Amino acid sequence: MSKFSALGFDIGSTTAKIVAVDETGKIIWQYIENTEPKIEEQVENLLKKVKKEVGDTLNIPVVATGYGRNLVLQANRKVTEITCHAKGIFKAVGHGGTLVDIGGQDSKVIIISDKGKVVDFTMNDKCAAGTGRFLENTAERMKIPVENIGKLSIESPDEVNISSTCTVFAESEIISMLAHGEGIAPILKGLHRGLISRVVGMIRSVGLVPPLMLSGGVVKNDAIRKMLSESTKQTVIVPEYPQLMGAYGAALIALKE
Amino acid sequence: MKKIKGDFMTIPKIPGRIETIKKFKESRGKIAAIFPIHYPRALFRAYNILPVEVWGPTGADTSYSTAYLQPYVCSIAQSALAYLLTGDLDITDIVVAPHTCDSLQGLGSILLDFIKPKQSVITIYYPRDKRDVDVEYLANEFKSVGEQLSKITGIKLTDKKLKEAIIREEEADDLLKQLYENKVYLDYNDTEFYKIIRAREYLPAEEFTIIANEALQNKTEKEKTGIPIIVTGIVPEPKGLLKVINELNGRIVADDFACCGRKLYVKGKSSNPYKYMAESLIFAVPDSSRENSINDRANYLVNLAKKYGAKGVLIYEVKFCEMELYYIPQVRERLKEEGLNSVIIEVDINDSLPHQTITRLEAFLEVIE
Amino acid sequence: MSLISEIKYRLTVDVVGPSYLKWERRKMTKAIETFKPKNDYSAPPLKISAWTKELISKHYFRGRYVEGHEPVAWVTSGGPVEPLKALGYFVIYPENHAALSGARHAQLELMGEAEDAGYSRDICSYARTDIGAALSGKTPVGKLPKPDLLVACSNICQTVLYWYRVLEKHFNVPLVIIDTPFVYDEAPPHVIEYVQKQLENELIPTAERVAKKSFSEKKFKQVVQYSKEASELWLEVLNTGKNRPTPISIFDQFIHMAPIVEMRGDAITIDYYGAMLKELNERVKNGIGAINNEKKRLLWDNLPIWYKLRSFAEDLGKYGVTLPASTYTYAWGELAPMIDIDRGMESMARIYTYPILNRSTGHKLDTMRSMVKDFSMDGVILHSDRSCKPYSIGQMSQRSKLMDEFGVPALLLEADHNDPRAFSDEQAAQRMESFIEMLGVDDE
Repeated sequence: MSKFSALGFDIGSTTAKIVAVDETGKIIWQYIENTEPKIEEQVENLLKKVKKEVGDTLNIPVVATGYGRNLVLQANRKVTEITCHAKGIFKAVGHGGTLVDIGGQDSKVIIISDKGKVVDFTMNDKCAAGTGRFLENTAERMKIPVENIGKLSIESPDEVNISSTCTVFAESEIISMLAHGEGIAPILKGLHRGLISRVVGMIRSVGLVPPLMLSGGVVKNDAIRKMLSESTKQTVIVPEYPQLMGAYGAALIALKE
Repeated sequence: MKKIKGDFMTIPKIPGRIETIKKFKESRGKIAAIFPIHYPRALFRAYNILPVEVWGPTGADTSYSTAYLQPYVCSIAQSALAYLLTGDLDITDIVVAPHTCDSLQGLGSILLDFIKPKQSVITIYYPRDKRDVDVEYLANEFKSVGEQLSKITGIKLTDKKLKEAIIREEEADDLLKQLYENKVYLDYNDTEFYKIIRAREYLPAEEFTIIANEALQNKTEKEKTGIPIIVTGIVPEPKGLLKVINELNGRIVADDFACCGRKLYVKGKSSNPYKYMAESLIFAVPDSSRENSINDRANYLVNLAKKYGAKGVLIYEVKFCEMELYYIPQVRERLKEEGLNSVIIEVDINDSLPHQTITRLEAFLEVIE
Repeated sequence: MSLISEIKYRLTVDVVGPSYLKWERRKMTKAIETFKPKNDYSAPPLKISAWTKELISKHYFRGRYVEGHEPVAWVTSGGPVEPLKALGYFVIYPENHAALSGARHAQLELMGEAEDAGYSRDICSYARTDIGAALSGKTPVGKLPKPDLLVACSNICQTVLYWYRVLEKHFNVPLVIIDTPFVYDEAPPHVIEYVQKQLENELIPTAERVAKKSFSEKKFKQVVQYSKEASELWLEVLNTGKNRPTPISIFDQFIHMAPIVEMRGDAITIDYYGAMLKELNERVKNGIGAINNEKKRLLWDNLPIWYKLRSFAEDLGKYGVTLPASTYTYAWGELAPMIDIDRGMESMARIYTYPILNRSTGHKLDTMRSMVKDFSMDGVILHSDRSCKPYSIGQMSQRSKLMDEFGVPALLLEADHNDPRAFSDEQAAQRMESFIEMLGVDDE
């Protein structure tokens, strides 16, 4: 019977994630919900949930990561997402390489050594055009459920080039295209292409070290994985819990404490 | 040179870049890709090198260049580097990065130190004032460039041959001037006109001369309609700009684009051909890359507008082009004093013209009408 | 100017002002001696800080009253100031004034003035600060004297040339351009000749005409001598950073560099840096570091982030990370050996052509590498300064080379030296923290 040994929090701007691990570092419990404005309160409630469903948290080491990490007062330590994601993915897949994490509001590329250490990283956290938000916003405007945009893109034989670098301007470009009779699916495909090209640009700036791995909420979108693979000519490896790599890494760091 | 008369467009048939390059290579010449803005055309031709200017064009995959150049470097520099990295400039033997601004300074330097392309890389620093000491320096700089070209081509250039090349270029430049001066009489819309003008960026001078002469024949008695404006900036890209201006009932009467209107070089005075070329560049149309004074540029634009009867000035800049941005406020003030309204539009040359831009243009034309 | 007004001026700037400032300095020195840092790792400020404040205040104080009494020149930070000093010019450095405004958080208002006048946010934040000050007359130093002469040297960037064209039109005074062609590899003879001729045939005659004075070779040599000595001392000051722990960090250097930039060529600057060196050697002797928990040492490349100096020092200090040196401050010292008093103008031409900012991206990388080695650095922070393209372009390749070829960890930090709106606290902190974690500070 594995023992509840450590806890990791990843409080992002979109979602809050928790992972509990046993003494071997295996995930024994995990949970995701939307981040609430009152983070401290949310963390209190989440801890109560952990107590109820996993066990007492009294002597359990806790590490927090993500933009909201400094508000997790119960954490023994706060560590950035870069380090946590690297730890998480390394344990999950068993090797290093290049991790691309596309979140709701930022994207990162992390080069991980074969010993699991962060060797290099780059982040795109200034511009929405490289994030999941870019796709979500426009899908919403076109009244397409977010879960369908990937499928529609893959199935589209045609693709429209969205040249605007800014999400806001891309929206007006798209509206005008729709008004001129362009199909929704080719437009969606073009949108995905725009996001991928930004990500590929980031990968180029640090230099790809195979194998290529993908994590983050956006992984649920098959088109992202497919297009990334096409652009980089690499197989894209996705871990079992793609959205939890940050929280998992945090839990693993807590385990060492 | 085939011409289609009658109901069809009478724009002369202009060979494309690749065609021109291939033909030149067949005659055992070399090809130099020239980044913006100024360079001694005659010197390159004298060494049997065809200079082909790289101003974009639109459509570059800048995910290659952004691995080297930060996002606050303009899309012209980004595109130039992207084309190099994706192999689109592989057909060239030399890459020339004139020292036009801080961004091109950096680009030239990283080409030499880090990227190290298969082409020979040449940089040219031109001076930032118009004094005797600047002319002397530039003449020496051109000489130094000539020495590099001599090493690359194995050619030993005589002053006589250089002077011949200078005369050839001057003939072509003269025709460029004539095209501008006669634009109002020529039966071309702006898209067609600029196709002809911009052929100067890659056609050998003697071929451009022929095309220009042909184009000058295409006169029309019809009075030109459309609101007359002048445009100042770097390049008329994306090309859709010219079409949009005409569709909105605007008409470009003259331009101050770095790729064409600012390439109106003057005749030199010296008997030494290197000094002659230096004078020709230094005393040419005022330009921000040569850091001419604000008054020089303002006066030039005012006179240009008056000469061609423009009612307003479109300031059409590439985003992040710092050298242009410093001039704008005081120049606009001066234009206003002379009753000339102006509007500023900033673009990334790889983006299609957004609605916001088109609307702004439309509003501007309405105001000055 | 009348005799009375001249007497009043002299009394104010040579007697009254300095006395008051001396008193302030004594007060501040006492305060430093009893100062207790808010945290448990920072060393107290250097005692020299009181003198730094006095010197800078005295300079700007004089500036408030100097109009009409002495010829005033506005010069770029890389500009050849020695001939001007020899002619008795009072020199203002708009970049220093902009940096000072940034450090005092006064720059936003000034930039706003320039932006309201139509100057784009995409132009250098120093230029916007200065143009805003010139247009509005507002300044945190009381009053800036109008220039009688503008001197712009392109050895730091092209931007200053456009900026000074704006000032030329605004103030309607002569502008002398010293164009120092960019050195992609080595400066060929025709470039050095060009620079020398500009100094001799353009700068000096124009400066003489405006100052209504004749150039004295003797005085010039004296000024060059002072310049050389002060620069050599500054270099020694910076080199104390090679010690472990370093007695000085770049945060100190960014403040105390003001005299070598602004008052290079004055005799007092020699005494000042001599005193600073003495204080630093004392610290070295007693093992006092800028932070007392020095674990990792990093090199800083590019300009400072003026509005974040103290908070960066603290954020990094708390992790035991110190920054003993920067390529930026080193620029004012590394050329000192090149100053040759007997070959006056020719040596000037060389010194003003060869600053690091006027040299290739490859040379900048070489400089970083040797500084990493000489200062026993564990990594490099490359400040990707949006407002400074000449310094920033090339950093992406430099970073790759540092990491891949030389095994030196390097972080690219996006910011702006003077505009806080182009800077995100959270994101910068995130990147720095991630970098520090990558360095393995906690593994010690």
